[in-house]
Amino acid sequence: MNSISVQARKPHRKLTEEEKAKERRKQKTRPYFMVAPAMFFLVVFTFFPIVYLIVLSFFKYNLISKMQFLGVDNYVRLFTVETTFGVALRNTAIYTISLIVLLIFLSMLLAIWLEHSSILNAIAQRLMFLPHLCATLTVAVVFQWLMNDEGMLNAMLRFFHLPALRWLNSSDTALMSIILISTWKSLGYYTLIMLSSLKSIPTELYEAAALDNTGPVRKFFKITLPMVSPQLFFLLITITIGSFKVFDTVRIITEGGPGDSTNTVVLWIYNKAFSGTIQVGLASAAGVVLMLIMAILTGFYFKALNNKIYYQ
Amino acid sequence: MGEIKLENICKSFGTTKVIENLNLTIKDGEFAVLVGASGCGKTTLLRIIAGIGPATSGNLYIDGEEVSDLPPGERDIAMVFQNYAIYPTMTVRGNIEFGLINNKVPKAERTKLVEEVAEIVGLTPYLKRKPSELSGGQRQRVALARAMVKKPAVFLLDEPLSNLDAKLRGAMRSELIELHQRLGTTFVYVTHDQTEAMSMADTIVLLDKGAIQQIAPPSVMYHDPDNVFTAQFIGTPPMNIMPLGEKFLGYRPERVALDHAYGDGFYRKAGNVLTREMLGSETLYKVALENTVGSDGKQAEIMVKSADWKFKVGQACEVYVDKDDLYFFDSAKKRIREKENETVHRECMDMINRT
Amino acid sequence: MVQTSVKKRHRKAYRINRTVKKVLSIFGRCLICLIFAFPFYWMIITSLKTYQESIQNPPTLWPQVFDLSGYVTVLTKMNLGMYFKNSIIIIIAVMAIQMVVMVPASYAFAKYDFKGKKLMFAMVLVANMTPTVITFIPIYIMFAKMNIGGRKILTTLWPQILPFGANAFGIFLLRQSFMQIPEEIIEAARLDNTSEKGIMFKIMLPMSKATMATIALFSFVANWNAYFWPLVMCRTEEVKPIILAIASLKELEVGLIWPTIMAGNTLVVLPILILFAIASKKIIASMAYRGVK
Repeated sequence: MNSISVQARKPHRKLTEEEKAKERRKQKTRPYFMVAPAMFFLVVFTFFPIVYLIVLSFFKYNLISKMQFLGVDNYVRLFTVETTFGVALRNTAIYTISLIVLLIFLSMLLAIWLEHSSILNAIAQRLMFLPHLCATLTVAVVFQWLMNDEGMLNAMLRFFHLPALRWLNSSDTALMSIILISTWKSLGYYTLIMLSSLKSIPTELYEAAALDNTGPVRKFFKITLPMVSPQLFFLLITITIGSFKVFDTVRIITEGGPGDSTNTVVLWIYNKAFSGTIQVGLASAAGVVLMLIMAILTGFYFKALNNKIYYQ
Repeated sequence: MGEIKLENICKSFGTTKVIENLNLTIKDGEFAVLVGASGCGKTTLLRIIAGIGPATSGNLYIDGEEVSDLPPGERDIAMVFQNYAIYPTMTVRGNIEFGLINNKVPKAERTKLVEEVAEIVGLTPYLKRKPSELSGGQRQRVALARAMVKKPAVFLLDEPLSNLDAKLRGAMRSELIELHQRLGTTFVYVTHDQTEAMSMADTIVLLDKGAIQQIAPPSVMYHDPDNVFTAQFIGTPPMNIMPLGEKFLGYRPERVALDHAYGDGFYRKAGNVLTREMLGSETLYKVALENTVGSDGKQAEIMVKSADWKFKVGQACEVYVDKDDLYFFDSAKKRIREKENETVHRECMDMINRT
Repeated sequence: MVQTSVKKRHRKAYRINRTVKKVLSIFGRCLICLIFAFPFYWMIITSLKTYQESIQNPPTLWPQVFDLSGYVTVLTKMNLGMYFKNSIIIIIAVMAIQMVVMVPASYAFAKYDFKGKKLMFAMVLVANMTPTVITFIPIYIMFAKMNIGGRKILTTLWPQILPFGANAFGIFLLRQSFMQIPEEIIEAARLDNTSEKGIMFKIMLPMSKATMATIALFSFVANWNAYFWPLVMCRTEEVKPIILAIASLKELEVGLIWPTIMAGNTLVVLPILILFAIASKKIIASMAYRGVK
């Protein structure tokens, strides 16, 4: 019947016990070889730096002379002598909270609004998403130009007989302006994430709700919101971590100013580590503080909200 | 209370017309089954009644009142979806009382109603559970309970049993029939399964490509079909149809006797067994008939369902069908009945005699 | 039964409500399009104006005279070719290393069982959440002390490539994608005497094309737009990638010459715009429509 296959196969000889054991050993060690390069990179470029950062935070170091052990001095300084750190921390907190509220609220709203398939919606979705793909530098610089005292935004305000704003040039409005820029850049991305989440809700649920005589508000809170809760949670964490890292925009257009109104934690750390009197130890301590804040916040989010999320 | 009247209903999806000028009245308290193949428009029709997929034109009356412009939640109807559509983030209790809360039913009454209904469908021990913790059958009961608790004038059911395994399906079928008898509400039930339709319906509405083929109780559908489509849709296997001159002749596989007649054996043909399927109490044969042309122009092949299991493949045999078991259809595939059209009917009988 | 009068009121309100809503919603949507399109328009338009016109008050919506001096300045006074080359090399090198590192790791996490797997994968997740702003100081110090091929490593492009070798995010995504490949296909391949390497590259990767495209897209965008990391690592002009170079346009000429700055930014955004114009749907689909943890 199957004369072809019989001839094509090589004669199969039996493996010796030694060869079998070798093969088994190979099987067992293979996965370790497979993950080794990745683990190597992760240890060298993520975990070791974390440890090193913590170590550095207990020293005084200016990249040239020898390191000096300080104990917890740097940490004490952060919260007493270095008042600008407190300001940077406060600014970062305001920035983060503002972005969380603005982005989650607006992205949810816009996602619902733009959900329906139409040409106008498709254009709007694409235009909203584009800023996310662009460099923060570009967005920052363009808005710096728009927010110029003689720039387009003030021109538009004057056109509508509204008072011109000082935007980035006043310590009262600078942080707000930065928040606006960041919202503009990221809103599209988060809106589209929420949009895809909304689209995954089976229409049947809404039909059943219609038959149950459900009003729009109740429909949102009892059906839509619970069904998108995983994505909302993801957004919360992503926006929080992303906001605490804010650096590019403030460095490029305000350099922390005017005054210290747009100084943020990462900018503060960067400046302490690379400009003026280099204080790597102090900067590292601040880095550790930042890391702890992010870890605690994330942990808090999980603890507090985990049972409110509907996992599918 | 729950009479449904569809008047000149048309429905198009974009430029495609799926239903054109459909008229249908479902009597109050009736168990009506909309049945047909996929895409025939039965679910579309159900959704028109529900208001979740409104008609493009036409009028809909529930209990004499025009409801076409009413939102679904105010039509006094309830629907059980094919995939249940129960709210996954709420408990069973939450699911059932959701509509009641929307209709501002006070808490005490709500609790009473929910517990009543839960008792009827057997969900009382599960009220605190979430849908992800329930089996398919339990989820279906939640969908049912949610519909029942509203005490609607009309119950709409969209293939509610199709997602259940065979055993559960049979059990749920009888439960639904019992429920209907108990509540007396109008039931509009959609299914593609003709067995389900036959066993559950007071009235069957058979649909094909958006048009009604026949409206009749199950026995009438089976014994007295209006057209070839109906004749072949109802019954497993479907009725054997073959050309008779310009008209068509049909008879059911279970009414074909092999080698001897049941009764008068008015129709007699010689044949050859092509295939044989042992079903248990009956055997299904495919028989090629000599000197007979089938619907495809080639030699006629008919299905025979017989209690006689002794025929082998390739064996020659004779098929007999009694006069009363013969059905005639005109060239437009509409039924020719003796009472309505005596002359034509006699012509057909004569044609049988001659061949 | 619902009262007839209530129903009549509902029906009328229902219909008026719908038209008003429709008009408002179209207007609103156009407003949104304007809000997001205008800054881009403004950037391009400014880059085509003369300096004098660009600082005019009130600003002109359309250039009176089209002037390309902004672009000329950027293209002549800057060694754009070098910066562009740096960015491309970085992007390609990072992708190449990631391929070699990510694919076996993801495969192992997805389809193998070994001691320590849980711990190691947890490490991947933690690394995914650890931002570069935490690790930059120690890594910089590390690199500052290292030499490669006789020169300080900081004068090469390596500091911008190596730290991104293990793309934790990529490992996470790819593992998910691999996990969805049915075991039977792999078993069939094994029966056909395919080596593990063969399985990885001939079966699992081709079936994960969409995920690979997503990872490549994220990687490309991140490395093309990189500012912070190059800022920390580049101490010489020769290793600067393109965004960092464009950032220094402000210092190029005396005062803020907006047409020049806008011209530089337009050029740097151009590849992204072209990519987006071609494949916007796919880009959005892979970046925003992934399953979320």
